[in-house]
Amino acid sequence: MAAASPVFASTYFVTVAGLGGEPDYEQRFAALATDMDKLLRADGQTDRIVETLKGPEATRAKLEATLNRIAGQAKAQDAFVLMMIGHGTFDGTEYKFNLPGPDISAPELAVLLNRIPAGRQLVVDMTSASGGAASALKKDNRTVITATKSGTEKNATVFARFFVEALRDPAADVDKNEIISALEAFQYAEKKTAQFYSEAKRLATEHPQVDDAQHASSFPLFRFGSASAAVTDPAKRELVAKKDEIENKIDALKYQKTLMNPDDYKRQLTTLLIELAKAQEAIDK
Amino acid sequence: MTWRVLVFLCCAFALPAQTIERAEALWRAHDYEGANNAFKALVAAQPKNANYRVRWGDLFYERFNPGEAQKLYEEALEIDPKNANALLGEAQILADGFDGKAIEYAKKAVESNPKLYQAHELMARIALEDDNSKVAASEADEAFSIQSDALEATAIKASIDLLADKESPWVAKIGNRGKGYETIAHFYMINRRYEDSIQYLRKAIAATPDLWSAHSELGINLMRLGREGEARKELQLAYDNHYRDAATANSLTLMDSYSKFQTFETPTTALRLNKKEADVLRPYFEEEMKRAMATYEKKYKYALKGAVQVEVYPDHEDFAVRTMGLPGLGALGVTFDNYIAMDSPSGRPPGSFHWASTLWHEMSHVYVIKMTNDRVPRWFTEGLSVHEETAASPDWGDRLSPEIIAAIRDKKLLPIADIDRGFVHPTYPSQVIVSYYQAGKICDYISERWGEGKLLDIIHEFAKNRPTIDVIREQLGVEPEAFDKDFLAMIDKETSKTVAGFADWTKQVREINQLAKDGKYDEVIAKGRAAEGLYPDYVESGNVYSFIADACLKKEDKACAMDELGRYSKIGGRDPETMKKYAKLLQDAGKLKEAEAALERLNYIFPVDAELHERLGGLLMQTGDAKRAVLEYQALIAMHPIDMAGSHYNLARAYQAAGQKDQAREEAVSALEAAPNFRPAQKLLLEVSRDGEK
Repeated sequence: MAAASPVFASTYFVTVAGLGGEPDYEQRFAALATDMDKLLRADGQTDRIVETLKGPEATRAKLEATLNRIAGQAKAQDAFVLMMIGHGTFDGTEYKFNLPGPDISAPELAVLLNRIPAGRQLVVDMTSASGGAASALKKDNRTVITATKSGTEKNATVFARFFVEALRDPAADVDKNEIISALEAFQYAEKKTAQFYSEAKRLATEHPQVDDAQHASSFPLFRFGSASAAVTDPAKRELVAKKDEIENKIDALKYQKTLMNPDDYKRQLTTLLIELAKAQEAIDK
Repeated sequence: MTWRVLVFLCCAFALPAQTIERAEALWRAHDYEGANNAFKALVAAQPKNANYRVRWGDLFYERFNPGEAQKLYEEALEIDPKNANALLGEAQILADGFDGKAIEYAKKAVESNPKLYQAHELMARIALEDDNSKVAASEADEAFSIQSDALEATAIKASIDLLADKESPWVAKIGNRGKGYETIAHFYMINRRYEDSIQYLRKAIAATPDLWSAHSELGINLMRLGREGEARKELQLAYDNHYRDAATANSLTLMDSYSKFQTFETPTTALRLNKKEADVLRPYFEEEMKRAMATYEKKYKYALKGAVQVEVYPDHEDFAVRTMGLPGLGALGVTFDNYIAMDSPSGRPPGSFHWASTLWHEMSHVYVIKMTNDRVPRWFTEGLSVHEETAASPDWGDRLSPEIIAAIRDKKLLPIADIDRGFVHPTYPSQVIVSYYQAGKICDYISERWGEGKLLDIIHEFAKNRPTIDVIREQLGVEPEAFDKDFLAMIDKETSKTVAGFADWTKQVREINQLAKDGKYDEVIAKGRAAEGLYPDYVESGNVYSFIADACLKKEDKACAMDELGRYSKIGGRDPETMKKYAKLLQDAGKLKEAEAALERLNYIFPVDAELHERLGGLLMQTGDAKRAVLEYQALIAMHPIDMAGSHYNLARAYQAAGQKDQAREEAVSALEAAPNFRPAQKLLLEVSRDGEK
C-alpha cells in the first residue's frame, strides 16, 4: 500500500445493479447502486464522471450504450471503473451477468471494455459466480475484483454491501493517505464478508478475489480530504522532497525488518518517523 | 424329486444355522467385518428372521454404531413386536443417551421374557441414575432371582452402598470381573465423584486388563481432572486395541488440538484459551474469574485450596467432546472438580450466549462440589448455580422461555423429591431446560422465604450425603409435599399472567409484525406495549421491544426508542446490534455513561467484536476513563482490525491520557509503521517525544 498513487485526469465510474429476480433482491441491489452513486457524487469532485444503471434501466442495451459513449470520451490518462451488483450465472464455461432482458456474458463485456481507451481500468464484479468472469475480463492495466473465487460459488453474495461500505468508512483507508485504493476497499470488504459468515456460523459461500494486488494497491478508487494538496504547492517543494526521502528510508527499513535485531529496527524506525512527522509539521505550517 | 433337489433343500435349510454360527464365531474372533458380512448375508437370506437382525444390531452396538444397531432393533420389532432381545437392545441404547423412554422398553422386554434378567439389571441401573436406590435394589434382586451371580446387579448393589459412603459386601462378590468395577465407576462418574470413579476404573483394569472400555473411560476421567499425560496413554491404549468409539477418538483429537491453546496462570486461576482469541478474551475472563471467586468465597465462607482451571473452546464440537457420556444438557459449560470447560463466545452466534453468566454458573459448581465433597444432588447444585447467575446481575441468566411456559401450563414441574429425574432421564425434549429453571426458582424461593443464608446451610447438610427430602424437612421445617405446594403457588403468582396469556401473546406478536410491515407505527407502539406486559421476558428474535423501538424511530421519536430499548436491555435483551443501536441513541442524547454501560454489557455477551471495543474505547475516552479505554483499545488491536493504524493511534491516545507516555510513544510508532503519513499519529508522536525531552 506504500506504492505511489498516480493522479488521473478523470475517472469514469459505471455502477450497474442487475436483475434481482425477486422483490427483496431488486430492492437490495438498487439500494446498493444508489448508495454508491450518492457516495461518488457527494463531495462534488469534478474529476469523477458517474453513471449508474439500476432497476428496469439496467438493460444490456443501456449498458452497451453507456460503455460505448465512454469509449468515445475517455482518454489514455483517464481511469475507468465498472462495478457490477446482482446475480451472475456460470454454466461451466461462460459467465453471464443477469440483466433485465438479455444477459451479458463476460467475453461480450470484455469486448466493450477493451474499446475504452482509459489507461487504467478496474472491474469490480460483485455478483454470484463472478469468479467465472475473471479470466475473460483479465487484461494488462485492468484490475479485476470478484466476489467469488470461481463460477461455482453460485449463492447470492454479501460482498457488494461491504465494498460500498468501504468507501464511506475511514477505517478502510489503512495507510491514512486519504485515498481508498482498490486494494484497500477489496481488503475491507473481504474481511467484513468473512466476518459476516463467521459470526452467523454459516459456511462461507463466497471468497472474494483480486487478480493483481499490486495494481489494485496503486489504483486510487476514492479520494477524500485534502490529499496531495501539499504536493502541488511549489513553495514547499523542498520540504516535500525531504519528506519523500524519509519515506523511502522508512520503506527500505521496513523491507529489512525481518533481518534486523528488533530493538535496532524499532530505534531506527522511531527516529525516522519522528523526522517524517517534523517534516510534515513544517509542510503544514 | 431328484437327489439333486433333495441335497439343495437340505443345504438351504441347514445354511441359516451354519451361517449364524459362523457370524458369531467371526465376531468372537474379533473379525468384525467378516461377522458383519455374514450377518448381512444371513438377513438377506432370511429377511423375516427377527433374531438375526437383533444379533446383527448387537454387533453394531458393540462396535460403537448405536444408530445402525437401533435401526436393526426397530426392524426386528416390526417383524416381531414382542422380541425381548430387540426390546432390550432398544432400551440399552436409549439408556446410554439418558432417554427417559428406556424404562418403557426394558419393562416390555421383561413382559416378553420374564427370564431376561439383563432387563431387570438395566432398570436397576436407570433407577440408580435417578438416585432411586430403593427401586434399583429391588430390580437388582429381581435379576438375582433369575441369575444368582448377575454381575451388573451385583455392581449396582455395591454402588448403592458406596454412593451412600458405606462399606459394601457386594464389592468382593464382583471378584475378578472387571466389568462390575466399571459399573461402579460409572455411578461415581455421573455423581461427579471423578476421583472415586478413577479408583474403580483402575480396579476394573487390574481385574480385566483387556477391558478397553475401562481404559478409555479412565483416560476420559483423567482428562476431566487435567491429568493429561496419563489420560493420553490410556486413551491411546484403548484406541490401539480397536476400542474406537466416538468418545475415545474425539478425546484424542481434542488433546492433539491443545497445542493451539495457551494457558495463563495466576496463583488461584488457570485460563486455557485458544491462541487465536487469547489476547481478546483473557482480560475479560480473568477479571470475571477473580470477581466470581471473591464473591463466592465471601458468600459460601469457603476458600478453594487449589487453582480453578477454565478451558474456553471456540469450536463447540471440541467443547462437546468434554461432555460426552454425561447426563443433562451440558450445552454451554461443564465442571469437573475444579476444572471448567465452556464454549467461547466466538463459538456461538452473537447474542445467543452470555459467557459471563455461564462462567459464574460453573464457578458456583466448583465451590459447591468442593464444599460437599461431591455429595450434592444434581438439582441443588444446578439450581444454586442458576440462582447465582441472576444474583450476579439481574439481566444475566435465562429468561422464561416458551418451553418453560408450556411446562408450567401443562403442570409438568416435578416434585422436589423427584426433580433429579428431570436432569438425568428427561421424558420430554425440553425437560432438562425446564428442570434448570425449576431448580433455579426453588433456590430463589428458599432465598426469599428463608433467607440467602439458608442456601449455605443446605450446602453443609448435603455435604453429609443426606437425601433431598430429609434436608428439606429439617432445614426448611416443611414436608416436601407442602414445600411443593407453596413453591408452585409462588410460580403461579409469578407466571400466571404470561402462562394464561401466552397463546394470545403469540397472536398479538403476529399482528404487530404485520402492522410494522404496513407502516402503522402508532398501532405497533400501542399494541406492542400491551403484548410486552403479557410476556415481558421474551427478548429473542421477533421480540416486541424491537418492534416498538423501530416504530418509534420511524416516527423520529428517539426518546421513545431509547426508553423502549432501555427496557429491553434491563430485562436481559442480548442482541449485539440492538444493544449497539441503544448505545448510539444514548450517546447522541449525551447520556454517555449510560451508553458506556450498554456497550459494557456486550463485553459479557459477545466481546469478539472490533466495533464494540472501538466504540466503547471512544466513549470511555469521552467520559475521562482512560485506563479502561486502554483495555478496550488493546482488545481492539488483538482482533486484528482492518484499521490497524487507527487502532494503535487510539491506544496511544488512551495511554497518553492515562499518563503512560512511553506506552503512548510505542503505540504511536506502531500506528505510523502501518501508515507513516497518518497526521494525528505524527502529531501525537511529536507531543510525547517532546514531553520526554523536557
